Amino acid sequence: MRKPWGRDLFHTTAFRMSMGYTFLVTLAVGVTLGSTYLLTQSIIQGNTDLIIDTELDSLENQYVRRGIPGVTDEINVRIDSWGRIGAVYMLAGPSFTRLAGNVTNWPFDGAPAERWPEFRIESIEPGQRSVHPVRAGVRRLPNGDWLLVGTDMSQDRRYSRIFQIATLWGMGLSIAVAAVAGFAFSFRLTRRLGDVTETCVRIMAGELGHRLPVGGASDEFDALAVSVNHVLDRLEEQTRTLRATFDSVAHDLRAPLHRLRTRMDAVLRLPGLEPGIREPVESSLKEVDRLQRTLATLLQIALAESGAPLASVVSVDLSELAAELVELFEPVARERGQTLTGNTDPGVGVLGNRQLLAQLITNLVENALKYVPADGRIEVGVRRLHDGIRLTVSDNGPGMPLEERSRAGQPFARIGQREGSGGGLGLSLVAAIARLHRAQLTLENNDPGLRVVVDFPAART
Amino acid sequence: MHILLIEDDIEAARFLIKGLRDSGYTVDHVASGQEGLARALAGRFDLIVTDRMLPHLDGLAIIRHLRGAGLTTPVLVLSALGTVDDRIRGLKAGGDDYLTKPFAFDELLARIEALLRRHASGAGTTRLKVADLEFDLLERRVTRGGREIDLTSRELRLLEFLMRRAGQVVTRTMLLEGVWDLHFDPQSNLVDVHISRLRQAVDRGSDRPLIHTVRGSGYVLREES
Repeated sequence: MRKPWGRDLFHTTAFRMSMGYTFLVTLAVGVTLGSTYLLTQSIIQGNTDLIIDTELDSLENQYVRRGIPGVTDEINVRIDSWGRIGAVYMLAGPSFTRLAGNVTNWPFDGAPAERWPEFRIESIEPGQRSVHPVRAGVRRLPNGDWLLVGTDMSQDRRYSRIFQIATLWGMGLSIAVAAVAGFAFSFRLTRRLGDVTETCVRIMAGELGHRLPVGGASDEFDALAVSVNHVLDRLEEQTRTLRATFDSVAHDLRAPLHRLRTRMDAVLRLPGLEPGIREPVESSLKEVDRLQRTLATLLQIALAESGAPLASVVSVDLSELAAELVELFEPVARERGQTLTGNTDPGVGVLGNRQLLAQLITNLVENALKYVPADGRIEVGVRRLHDGIRLTVSDNGPGMPLEERSRAGQPFARIGQREGSGGGLGLSLVAAIARLHRAQLTLENNDPGLRVVVDFPAART
Repeated sequence: MHILLIEDDIEAARFLIKGLRDSGYTVDHVASGQEGLARALAGRFDLIVTDRMLPHLDGLAIIRHLRGAGLTTPVLVLSALGTVDDRIRGLKAGGDDYLTKPFAFDELLARIEALLRRHASGAGTTRLKVADLEFDLLERRVTRGGREIDLTSRELRLLEFLMRRAGQVVTRTMLLEGVWDLHFDPQSNLVDVHISRLRQAVDRGSDRPLIHTVRGSGYVLREES
């Protein structure tokens, strides 16, 4: 089983969706908590301001009724009752000199411009040094004196800081919860979709019997699985039909050839056969064998081109296979005065059919052996690239004109003018086998010589 | 040696029967799958040769029935289906060997002989010996007349294959399949080159060569008297 991690969870749609979801949750929580904060803040502020205004009204009233002494008395009474809980009062002359109250100096530079000026005050209570923010209201009495009423805001500020911290924690926690939930969700989604992908990969590799699991949940995944399974049933049925047709064509072509060959064999076994008969029969027999080889190649190409998926797919160690074949063909090359070498990265695997891959390499090597002159060099390479696997067979022979090279990958294209033996089908078979393995075949100029490149997709196991 | 031939192509069968009888085998022939299975289950045959595509009950189904019934008689499958996959499926089904039509009659004879011998002789030997050529299978050492012969692992495998079938004709196709696991025909003279190198190593300087070419069919390793 491939882990959803294996496919880079961060690049999945599910992951991106859950990231978006987390962002939205964060935004919603942020807006809610933020507006609650602002609203509470303004209510508290509004209350404070209302109290200050009321106090100013009441003191102004005292002035109207009893003049400055009344105001001074009233301020002293109020300081006695409210001073401890942070109420600030001051009566100052027209030039802001203190007349009464629990503030020593006029805190502003002249008359403040704001409606609710704020200032700092050092500990109203004796014996305890601390700085308190004060919000105040200022009013000018008709005689030119200044009246100041304020409230110690430190308690409110503390509450609002607590509220801010609570808001930040709340947002942090909801981001964490949303992220975990989103991650779990995307993990689950990726795993279920991963099952679909994996099954499809297996089927493309030829394991036609595979079906997607249908859980009993009747959810949208089950609906998808059921539909995909229907498509797979159809595909399997079509492949079976194709296979059956193919088999009967192969049979109909081979059976008469077989009877012909058997009869000729029987003639050759007759005792006392004259050489005048034996020789033409023997050479006819050779033609039958050649015909049979061409037929086998054609059938193999036709099967590969028919689109029927590969049967018996396994993980093939391409490096090992190439090295083995190089070792096997090396004496053949040496006998012709050519040099055949292998240059393979170790342990490079592809998914495929070992026999067909062996045939692909063999055809390319034999093709090179045929065209490269004595003292020529042939090299078989297997490389692991970052996005796939590359098999190359290069030589320093006469090469191939561009026009022929570009034609080489086409089915049934005859490359090079060679006599008989279906040799011209060799590259077509290579192209067909490459296509079956979803590999790309390119013929390049090796300058001098020919380089055949087969690029396989990276094996996912 | 008693062979059961199951083949619905009557004309092809007629020539096969004659050829096999000429080579000294007793042959029973049936043309249908059901009959073939019944005869195979009832009689005592040394070898069964069956066509793969038979009406109603095909060759692979016959093999499965036989193996299911505990019969171990070697089975050679003849088939018009010759792609690599067909061969693999044929052998997976329990066939002991698989021959694609059309084939040379000598190829059939060589394979029949190989199957009959394989069935008769055990595989537990640790030493192979033909004349003065000795092969120690455990140490992978070969000596000829006491003198050690230096061979690569590839050459050792080829020699072991030949020595295990000493006296039997081994065809090129049998070597390709059995020694190098190549189930297709290469265009080059791959087999001949390897045999000639082995011959160089084993027979050079000897007045009694052991590896012989059999014209038109293959090779044989034996002591010529």
